[in-house]
Amino acid sequence: MTSPAVAIEAQPYVNREPELIARVVAGDRLAARELYDAHAPRVFRLAYRLTGDDELAREFTQETFIRAFAQLGRFRGDSALSTWLHRVTASVVSNAMRKVKRFRARETDLDEAGLVHAPGSGGDHDLRDKLHRAIDELPEIYRTTLVMHDVEGYTHEEIAKVLGVAEGTCKSRLSVARAQLRKKLASFAKEWME
Amino acid sequence: MTHDDDRLPDALRNAARDYNTPPPLAPADLDDMWSVIESRAFADSQRTPDRAYWATIRRVLPIAAVLLVGVAIGRFSAGSGASPTVPTARVASSDSSMLQEPYQSTTSRYLGQTAALLAALPAEVRAGAADDALHGRAHDLLLTTRMLLDSPAASDPRISTLLDDLELVLAQIVRLQTDDGRSELELIRQALEQRDVLPRLRTAVANISADD
Repeated sequence: MTSPAVAIEAQPYVNREPELIARVVAGDRLAARELYDAHAPRVFRLAYRLTGDDELAREFTQETFIRAFAQLGRFRGDSALSTWLHRVTASVVSNAMRKVKRFRARETDLDEAGLVHAPGSGGDHDLRDKLHRAIDELPEIYRTTLVMHDVEGYTHEEIAKVLGVAEGTCKSRLSVARAQLRKKLASFAKEWME
Repeated sequence: MTHDDDRLPDALRNAARDYNTPPPLAPADLDDMWSVIESRAFADSQRTPDRAYWATIRRVLPIAAVLLVGVAIGRFSAGSGASPTVPTARVASSDSSMLQEPYQSTTSRYLGQTAALLAALPAEVRAGAADDALHGRAHDLLLTTRMLLDSPAASDPRISTLLDDLELVLAQIVRLQTDDGRSELELIRQALEQRDVLPRLRTAVANISADD
């Protein structure tokens, strides 16, 4: 599992972050670039995990920072800036992906039956593909929670702050997500249980 | 069963870690995304560029205001000191530094008001935007500037030059009211820099001090 994702930054930057935020609010582009350099890789990583599309991940990363800089004056420091940025990222991705999925649904005939009933080849590659498709098809709130926790290594506390839900809700969503994956991947049960 | 007890089997957990694995981001990728962010967050929005431009204005205008006060004090204290008892006797004087009392009074008051406006401008813009009252004062002062340029007050080349520059700055402040402000703010910034307003004001102060 990867290391905890939120609120871990190099000390010198952390010490300067409040000053940088104030400068960005005052319109300082250099300070904005410094904040961007510190957080963009992680924001892009989260956006990519949630979209699986390089172009969309870049677009959502850009949108995250554009929105964040516009709203930075409202940031009160109640949570880490990284947490706040990831919250913006999750919101941007969630809103945009609804449109993307509607668009894709009109163009693509998703073979849901094949996911459950196709005979498994037994290979790791096949399992991985099926799993990834199963994750893709999870309802958004479950998929986001599962990706952040099981794939990216966020803690429940971090996910709860990013998504703006209670920790208990976050745990419950993760449990449901895992249960749905088990159900969808039932045909592979023997392989992973052995 | 607790939430942690329902962990996925190892095979699935390992496979999940490969889900949508992000590609590495090169510095050029970060630069590309930044160029989009910068152009939209700073160049296209009103708040950020305005603040950036006003930051420049805030730095230079208080200096200009102080210099204007210096010019006014130096210019008119010299005039008053030279003829404290018979100001009207200088109406026909060929000395350009000796103004008729009505013009001297008007010019003195005008310079003081202009200095006050320029000093107040940074606070106004810090609050978000220059308000209607400030624009109104700038407009009135602009009219006064043009009147003085056509009056004997402008017979002194130092005052005339100063009035020319102030006319430009005041006209630009007035025009801020009529558009989104960015282009005009840029013009003010360019005017202050390219027309060397501040160095010329300093020179004027130095010259007047030398005259004193």
